[in-house]
This record gives sequence, structure tokens and C-alpha cells, in this order.
Amino acid sequence: MTSIKLLIIDDEVEFAATLCQRLQLRGIDATDMHSGGEGLAILKEIAPEIVILDLKMPDMSGLDVLAEIKKHDPDIEVIMLTGHGSAGAGIEAMEKGAFDYIMKPVDLQELLAKINLAVDKRSKA
Amino acid sequence: MKEHSSWLTKILPAPSDNIISGADLDRGYKNFSRGLFVILTVLVLVPLTIITLLSHQQYKQLLQQKELDQLFLNLEQAQSTIEEFVAELQSVIKFVARDDHYLELLNPKELQDLFVRLQSEYPGFVDIEVIDSEGMQKAYFGPYQLEGHKYTDQTWYREVMLRGVYISNVFSGFRNVPHFVIAVSRKHPQQKASWVLRVTIDGQTLQNYVDTVSTTYADDIFLVDQSFTAQTRPQKYGKIGEKSVLYDVRDTEKKNFRKRVVERYMMVQKASDMMIVKKSFQGRQILQGVSDLTNAPWKLVMVKEQYLYADAWFAFKMRLTTIFLSCTIVSLFVIVEIGKAITNHLRESDMKREQFLVEAEQPNKLASIGRLAAGVAHEINNPLAIINQKTGLVQDFLEMSDDFAYKGAMGEALNGIQNSVERCKKITHRLLGFARHADVVNEEVDINVIVREVVDFLAKEASYNQIKITFALDPDISKIYSDRGQLLQIFLNITNNAIDAIGRNGEIVLSSRQLDEKNVQVSIADNGPGMSAQVQQHIFDPFFTTKETGKGTGLGLSITYGLVKKFGGKIIVISEVGKGTTFEITLPITKSSQE
Repeated sequence: MTSIKLLIIDDEVEFAATLCQRLQLRGIDATDMHSGGEGLAILKEIAPEIVILDLKMPDMSGLDVLAEIKKHDPDIEVIMLTGHGSAGAGIEAMEKGAFDYIMKPVDLQELLAKINLAVDKRSKA
Repeated sequence: MKEHSSWLTKILPAPSDNIISGADLDRGYKNFSRGLFVILTVLVLVPLTIITLLSHQQYKQLLQQKELDQLFLNLEQAQSTIEEFVAELQSVIKFVARDDHYLELLNPKELQDLFVRLQSEYPGFVDIEVIDSEGMQKAYFGPYQLEGHKYTDQTWYREVMLRGVYISNVFSGFRNVPHFVIAVSRKHPQQKASWVLRVTIDGQTLQNYVDTVSTTYADDIFLVDQSFTAQTRPQKYGKIGEKSVLYDVRDTEKKNFRKRVVERYMMVQKASDMMIVKKSFQGRQILQGVSDLTNAPWKLVMVKEQYLYADAWFAFKMRLTTIFLSCTIVSLFVIVEIGKAITNHLRESDMKREQFLVEAEQPNKLASIGRLAAGVAHEINNPLAIINQKTGLVQDFLEMSDDFAYKGAMGEALNGIQNSVERCKKITHRLLGFARHADVVNEEVDINVIVREVVDFLAKEASYNQIKITFALDPDISKIYSDRGQLLQIFLNITNNAIDAIGRNGEIVLSSRQLDEKNVQVSIADNGPGMSAQVQQHIFDPFFTTKETGKGTGLGLSITYGLVKKFGGKIIVISEVGKGTTFEITLPITKSSQE
């Protein structure tokens, strides 16, 4: 089984880098990018199956990036990262095509579970 | 209120300014009440006093004017009466001394007959004499031996020769009784010289005239000569033949009247002076009227003690004083009552305002603290996520590495960090939940079901702690329109607090009842330790907690408060130290009242 290709887009560099490193330790082919623009730019190059996307970034909003990703390839599953205590923003993202959302600070086991579900969904499709 | 000019603020300080304590506030109201009393009293009493003084003054002037007028009138009447008497005497003597009588009168027998006839009409006539143009007495009849007198150089003789009539002052002379003289000069028909008929009249005659005119109105009336020597007997103010005692008394006020009179017999118009002066004599105010007689060398003096000390003036003063005092008393009473009413009104509205401010402050406090909390929570959340991930990474490395000296201890330390992160996460999530405006679902809910559900959540924890939970639910209570989840949160928060407050061994009673047609009420009562008034004041404040550090966020009750308010309800706490605490939550039934 080939490793899962995953892209993390979050402006919090330390967070994105560490999460990326931890996922890599678990055999996931993860890459981290630190702005919406960068993330979209590298999309073709690495062709991820899963994108973990922060909802709030300075250059463009997570929802806009989500729309761009879905335009580029509707099969890419996106898991939204939300800093809000509110589920509302996450649900809104799901309505716009995100696979799921997870609140910061992220529980890695929970995230891995969601990644697996997303991968399952892709393989069924 | 602040626009008051400074003097008004000084008299009428706003009671709620510069309050430090309740005692200051009380003093503030007292000062306000006092200021109000002063202003109202001045406003009422000043015009009242002015009116009273004015009417006092006005009536006094009126009385004085009336008094003067009356004295003037009396004096005028008395004057004309006496003038008539004198004129009558003059005309009798003029008649006797007709031009052609001179020779007849020289005859002693004729003179005696005439005099006896005159005396029968005028008993005051004392003697009669005829004097020729040289001033020599030619004939005399009377009780004294005065024949052969020579009057040539005497003033009265020269005067009568010039003027035709002479009236003397009252004097004693060689007759030794008070008397006066009327002399008339006539032209001799043959010789071209004049002769004089002189009649001496008893002073008592004059006294009789004065007695005739004296009225009860005047206190004294008498005649004086030009130098103010009394010609008749004054009753109080001097002696006959002496200067009147009033002569030396200083005038305090003087009034002159010029009177034009027509002397009836002479048909000549003459002006007569009349003067009324006020004097202060032996402590009494007196009015002295003096009038010149037109046909005699005398002045008529009329004295009147001042009216002002009479009954009318006293009665008026009494009445005025009574009216003034009763008006003052009534207005003071009314002012005190009005002042009390206004101050009480002010106190009440201040209290209402205070209460309103306290009520209005709570949601406001919640809103601003909520915004602050959300901001802080959001900012903290990101570094928290980083700590979380970094720790996770270190844990990953630790797991992958071989055993080393402190591997176990390091693992525990990392777990401790993760636990703390977890705690922080809960806090930030609650803070953010506190701040957000979640949409309210509006569904029909049975409040009894919700209360039972709350207890299902907590039953285990309660039973661990030997806490008995009982229900007193009204089975016929109306269903309400509200958000099920948030209602659960409300009751859960309070019941949870009750369990924490009791600690071990106790009872919680959850009851519901229909408050009225529009409201239901749920009350949650515990028999825990209760709360002091101090604590009760702050229980709905965010971050206020009595639980030990780490156990409570201090947000539970403020979230509860916010939710109840959002539903249009009311939450109150009744608590007493040592007896327990009861929360009463009133919620509206209708849909509309929540929107």
C-alpha cells in the first residue's frame, strides 16, 4: 500500500511543521505549506489525496482555498482546522464540500481517524 | 441637572452627587430637603411679609390721613363759630357807636341806660367808655373808678384810630380780672375828627365761646395770642395767661393748609392759615391744629391725641397679625409636606434608577467580558495547539527511542503537559462557547422531562456523594417553546453546582410549577452550606468561582444567566448561610416572548 499523500495548509508555521512531522512518523506522505496561495500553488505538483486546511489565514480564507481545491480536483478530501470553539464554522465548511472539521488543539488520534475515513471514502468512490 | 446655576446648586444640592456611602446619601437627601424648605419658605414668606407690611403701612397712612382730615374739619368748624361770635360782638359795638350817637353817649345818664341794656344781652360786658379825638376819656360807665384817663399815646388807641376796630389780647390790667377790649372809632359828624367807643369784656365770655365749640372729638381746645400765650383755659396743655406747654415741643411733622374764607359781615375774602403739626409730648403722639382767626388777634388751638393708639388701629393690627401668622403656619406646614413628598419621590426614583442600573449592568458586563474572553481564548488557542503538537512529537520520539535512564519519568512529564493542554483546551472552548451567539431552536418542550433528564446525567455522581435527589413536579404544567439543549444546560449547571456545594450527604429538590398563564417556574433547592450576601452579589459574574482552583471556570452561572435572559426569563437566587440555596428560574411559555 502506497502512503497517503497529504497536504497541510496553515499559517501557524510551528503547528503545521510539527503536525506534518508527526504524520510523517506515522507513514503518511505529508507536506506543509504556510499560506493559502502557497498551498494552491503546490497542489498540482504533489497531487494530495487529503488536505488539512486552516479556516483562518491572513492571505485568503480557508473557505476560499477550499473552493479553489474543489475546483481543481473535487476528489481531494479536505479536513478543516478550526480555532473557534464553534462548530458552526466547521459545519459551514462541510456544507461547502469539506469532508470534516477538527478543532484546535488537535487530538492526533482523532485526526488520524478522520484521515482514514476520508481515505476510505476516496477508495469507495 | 448639572445646568443649575451655582447659587441654586449651593442651596439645593443634588442628593446623588458625591456619594461615598449610604450615610452620605441620607445626608444628601436631608440637605436637599432643607434647601427645598428654605427656597419654598422664602418664596412664600417674602411676598406674604411684603403684603402684610404694605397693608400695615397703607392702613396706617389711611388712618393718619383720616385723622388729619377730621382734625382739619373740626378746627375749621370751631374757627368759624368763634369768628362768628367775635363778629357779633364787633357789630353790636359798631352799632352802638353810630356816628350821631357821640353827643348822646357823652351824657352819663344816656351811657348808663345804654350799658344796662347791653349788659342784659351780653352779661360779659364789664364797662364802657367814650374817648375823644385827642385820646381823652369823655365818659365812663362801669364798676371801676376809671374816669378821666388819657389814652393818647397808647398803642391800641393809635391802632383803632387807623384801622377803625381794635381787639386786645386778654389781660388783667388795673381791673385785676382777665378781660379784653373791643374798641371802635367813628367820625364826628360836625368836627372832622374821630371819636372812640371802647368796651371791656370779661375774659369768661371768650371762655364761654370756646366751651361752646369744644367737642368730645378734641382732647383740648383753647385760644392763644400771637406769642402762644393762652387766652382761654386749656384743659391739659397749659394755664390761662401763660404760654402753652406745647409751644416748646418740637414738631415732628408739619402740614399747612391755606384756607380762603369769606368774612360774612365785611364781605371780604381773606386767606387764613391753618397748620397741623405732629408732636411727641410726654410719650404720646399728639396732633396740634392751629388756625388764625380772621377778625381777632388770636389763634385757635385744637389738640388731639393720635388715633393710632385707639381701638380701630389695635384691632386692625391684631387681625393683620392673626392672618399673617395663620398664613405662615399653614404655608410652613404645606411646605414641609411638599418638601417631604418631593424628597421621597426623588429618593424612590433614585432607588429605582440604581436598581435599573444594577440590572442593566449584568448583561452588559457579560457582553464585554464575553468579547474579551473570546479574544483571549482565540489567541491562546493557537500556541496551545503548537504545544500540543510539539509535546506529541516528543512523545512520538520517546516511543521510538530505546530505553534510557529517564525515559519513564520523561514520559510522565510529557503526559502531564498533555493533560494541562487538555484542561486549557476545555477552558478556551467554554470561553468561546460563552461568547458565541448560538441559534436558539424553538421547539415545544416538556419542562418536567428536561428536569428528569438533568437528574439522569447527575444521578451517579449524586449517589456517590450520598446526595438524595427528589422531585416536586407539577404534572399539569404547560409545555413551553424553547431550546431543549440549552434548557438542559441551564438546569445542569445549577444542579451540578448544588452537588458541588453540598459535597456529601444532603438533598436536592427539583420542583416545577405553573407561575401564571404566561410563565412557568423551576426551582432547584439544596440544603448545602448556603452563600453570604457578598457571594450572592457576584455569582452571575463571569470568572467568579468559590470552587478550588482548577475545578471551576467561574463561567457556569454566567452562561446560565445569559441563556435565561436570552429566553426572556428570570433567574433569582435565595440563599442563607447554613440553610442552603434555592435558584428560581422563571421561563415564558409563548413563542413570541422569546423572539
